[in-house]
Amino acid sequence: MAVITLPYKYLERLTRTDKKTILDKVAFIGSDVERIEEDHADVEFFPDRPDLFSPEGVARAMRGYLGIETGLSVYPVKPSGISFTVDPALANIRPVLGAAVIRGVSFDDESIQSIMSLQESLHWAVGRGRSKVAIGIHDLDTVKPPFHYIASTKSRKFIPLDYTESMTMDEMLLKHPKGRDYAKIVKDFPLFPLIVDKDDHVLSFPPIINGERTRVTLDTKNILLDTTGTDKRAVGVAVNIICTAMAEAGATIESVEIGGVQTPTLAPVERTVSVQECSRLLGIELTAVTMAGLLRKMRFGAEPAGADKLNVQVPCYRADIMHDWDLFEDVAIAYGYDRIIAAPPATFTVGKPHPVQVNAALAREAFCGLGYLEVMPFTLTNEDVLYKKMQRDEKNGVLHVMHPISIENTVVRTELLPLLLEFLTLNRHRELPQRLFTVGDVVDSCLTYQQAAGVSTHPDADFSEAYASADAMLHELSIDYTVKESADAAFIDGRRGDIIVAGKKIGVFGEIHPAVLNAFELEHSVAAFEFDLRAVPGYPVL
Amino acid sequence: MAELTQNEKRLLAILEKEKKADAPHLAGLLDATPEAVVQWAHLAGDKGFATVERVVVKEYIYTDEGKAYAQNGLPETQLLRFILPGTTLADLQKHEAFKIGFGQLRKKGLVKVEGTSVTKTAGASTDADEAAIRNPSGADPKTKDLIKRGILQESETVRYAIAITTAGLSLVKKGLDLRGESGTLTRDQIISGEWKTANLRKYDVTKLPKKAWPGKIHPYQRIIAEMREILLEMGFTELYGGIVQQSYWNFDALFQPQDHPAREMQDTFYLRETLPLPPGYEKVKAMHECGGETSSTGWGGIWKEEKAEQCVLRTHTTSVSIQYLARNPNPPVKAFCIGRVYRRETIDTTHLAEFEQLEGIVMDEGVTFGNLLGILREFYHRMGFEGVRFKPSYYPYTEPSLDAEVYVEGIGWIEMGGAGIFREEVTAPLGINYPVLAWGLGVSRIAMLRLGLKDLRYLHKSDVAFLRETPALRHTKGGI
Repeated sequence: MAVITLPYKYLERLTRTDKKTILDKVAFIGSDVERIEEDHADVEFFPDRPDLFSPEGVARAMRGYLGIETGLSVYPVKPSGISFTVDPALANIRPVLGAAVIRGVSFDDESIQSIMSLQESLHWAVGRGRSKVAIGIHDLDTVKPPFHYIASTKSRKFIPLDYTESMTMDEMLLKHPKGRDYAKIVKDFPLFPLIVDKDDHVLSFPPIINGERTRVTLDTKNILLDTTGTDKRAVGVAVNIICTAMAEAGATIESVEIGGVQTPTLAPVERTVSVQECSRLLGIELTAVTMAGLLRKMRFGAEPAGADKLNVQVPCYRADIMHDWDLFEDVAIAYGYDRIIAAPPATFTVGKPHPVQVNAALAREAFCGLGYLEVMPFTLTNEDVLYKKMQRDEKNGVLHVMHPISIENTVVRTELLPLLLEFLTLNRHRELPQRLFTVGDVVDSCLTYQQAAGVSTHPDADFSEAYASADAMLHELSIDYTVKESADAAFIDGRRGDIIVAGKKIGVFGEIHPAVLNAFELEHSVAAFEFDLRAVPGYPVL
Repeated sequence: MAELTQNEKRLLAILEKEKKADAPHLAGLLDATPEAVVQWAHLAGDKGFATVERVVVKEYIYTDEGKAYAQNGLPETQLLRFILPGTTLADLQKHEAFKIGFGQLRKKGLVKVEGTSVTKTAGASTDADEAAIRNPSGADPKTKDLIKRGILQESETVRYAIAITTAGLSLVKKGLDLRGESGTLTRDQIISGEWKTANLRKYDVTKLPKKAWPGKIHPYQRIIAEMREILLEMGFTELYGGIVQQSYWNFDALFQPQDHPAREMQDTFYLRETLPLPPGYEKVKAMHECGGETSSTGWGGIWKEEKAEQCVLRTHTTSVSIQYLARNPNPPVKAFCIGRVYRRETIDTTHLAEFEQLEGIVMDEGVTFGNLLGILREFYHRMGFEGVRFKPSYYPYTEPSLDAEVYVEGIGWIEMGGAGIFREEVTAPLGINYPVLAWGLGVSRIAMLRLGLKDLRYLHKSDVAFLRETPALRHTKGGI
């Protein structure tokens, strides 16, 4: 999530109202106020609204929401006369370039910080960690147009930002902190992306690092913005968000010619929507006029076009408006969620439990009747508990997660019984007898199904107890079974039985083997059983 | 005053005659063990009817060596008897008692050795020693000597002298019901009618019982069951589905872009397994790439089949409900699912890599955002939360989206779940032509509040004592 710092003075000046009014309402446009400090507030915005990742963007939205200034913000753009060439060799490396000239900026420490943090938030939310979009900001007056976006050999040298020595691009990936962070995006390409000026001075090695030459300082008056990436739309959105934020701060935006096209235009996108569709979806009464008013409050341009139609101008910075319903959400926000009448739907329906859960509830009931206490172990466990300590072979259908968090959580459970023994270990110091059960999901390859298992430990726990309890459970669940001597090494030879239904083993019971007790560090005998709930008549096929 | 047991009464009745006696003596009269008598006397003593006096008696017993000496005389006595005029030291050395006895005789000055002859001193006698071995006494220094020599052993015996008090005497005088007392009401007594005259023992009801621990379902399961019942009452159909899901159903069908951060290895548990895509997946592909036939633009870019085929541990139960919707595209559909979901989170007190999620969906002609708010309000009210409010939020597959907050006394407003209407980008490729209201909430958050847990892991790695002591019925107030 993006947490944005909003300095009160700056925010108040841009919004043209006091901070209390702003902070009281900012949550209603979709945010969480994280911290209120002496001179600023930290507010978290959602990743679908990168246009709110700067004080300028928040002020623009709040002016609309508070009725201070509604409708579309228009950003005039005139050509800068500056051009960029794009090397066709970048087609499979990092093909997309966006750029703009931003004139007449007046930086102080705070506003430089603000634009840097907008840049970082965009790298995260739009740029997917710079792989999809990376943004560079340069002091325009340190270089000479035209500019060239080229595919360069890796041995090209220049002085990267924050350094005094020049080094090769290959070296930067190893030595420069940013190089190390983002090397994975470019390291496999034969050539690296590079932006140079007329005199072959390096502006940037996107998406890694800018050159020291074009560093932005408090004296910077004019900015060249470069935005490179792999996705045309995402690159465009990043350019639009930065340019409109800078324009809100008082700068003038000029376009750059890339491949014969002037960019950016900062022009809105037109969309025609149905008032009735919006009204029906939200469950509120709307006319074209009221809906247009609500959208203008959210800084859209909106004009009724007949009784049911609305022509909407979507600002260039609203990357999240992909579909008409995205506009309807803004209508709902402008209307106020608290004003929408909350009424459950009228259609009559009858509740229906799922048979698997019905079975599970019956199994729980029977276990409780036998005096067993329910536990709910994790479903992620490891081979040591599931197999090694149990003296059992690893199951074919066990699933290994590809990037486990720890060695404790490497596989999804295929049995419940080992987890119950682990529970007994955890509760060694508690009063005996302990009778524990669990009912729940296990997996066999990609298939999920339910098992039930019970353990009883006390000095007299034995085969007879395991058999009697297993028999009672199977009887209560109408499982018609026979028993065969078992070979399960988790149990003592001659004190173990396989539960057979229709010729297939569905479970096992008996007295846990002393070696297994040792492995789980248990001191008393354990009568145990487990069985597959798919043996319950009527268990649904998933 | 607590009732006297029958045994206490019997004891008092005997004591009325005996006044004061040793426990073994009373035990003989009462046909019981002395220990039992002492216990009864203590009970009667607690009520002021008897006194129990603890008397420590020292006793002396013979060691094996001592037993032989008591019979045959001490070694020195035996030697003394053997010494006659003319007895030589060599004669004496042949006597079996020589080793011990001769030293004693010398020490006590009872013999004289001159050359090879041994003679008694005048008046030599071991009578006093013999008396000491026969009648040991704590006051006799000779007894101590015999203890040192390992001939006698001292042992302490505790005896109890039991006496009746004046209150006890007057109680007996008033008359005691000395009929036989039964501990258990027997089958014979019930059938024969003997119970009419039987004297059933009365228990002290103020004493705490021995703790019995019933078999119970887990307190967390109870909360899950409560939510399940509420939703069944509200007319929802319960769903159940697999833990392992294809990325297609977990992400792609829900219009989650393939480069979405939540899909990365750091956030989702991926498995090596893959499953073939279901028929009709091309529509989902088209929706991602260009918005299909809707007013949407789609995400752009190229949608890759192989990314969708990869299996994951489901990150939400929506992967189950979306498949149910795809199979049941005709309205009305009202369904819910409560199940374990997985996020690749670092495990700490408030974050687990697996937790229960509750999810509900409603698909019907003409259902609205207002209806969604209505369902949520109703559900949270039934859970006991009186204050419910909604605010804008963002979820990739719903639009409009909201977060529900409930008011908890002493804490304030807390976020309880997210909701929204499935985007048309989600529903259209699956042939669902009506709005789908959807909401979800983390069940463990409510459990943590209700059970007062500081560590979520406790739900799954529980202390048996906690499970035993948490009552089945917890009084909840304001949902907590």
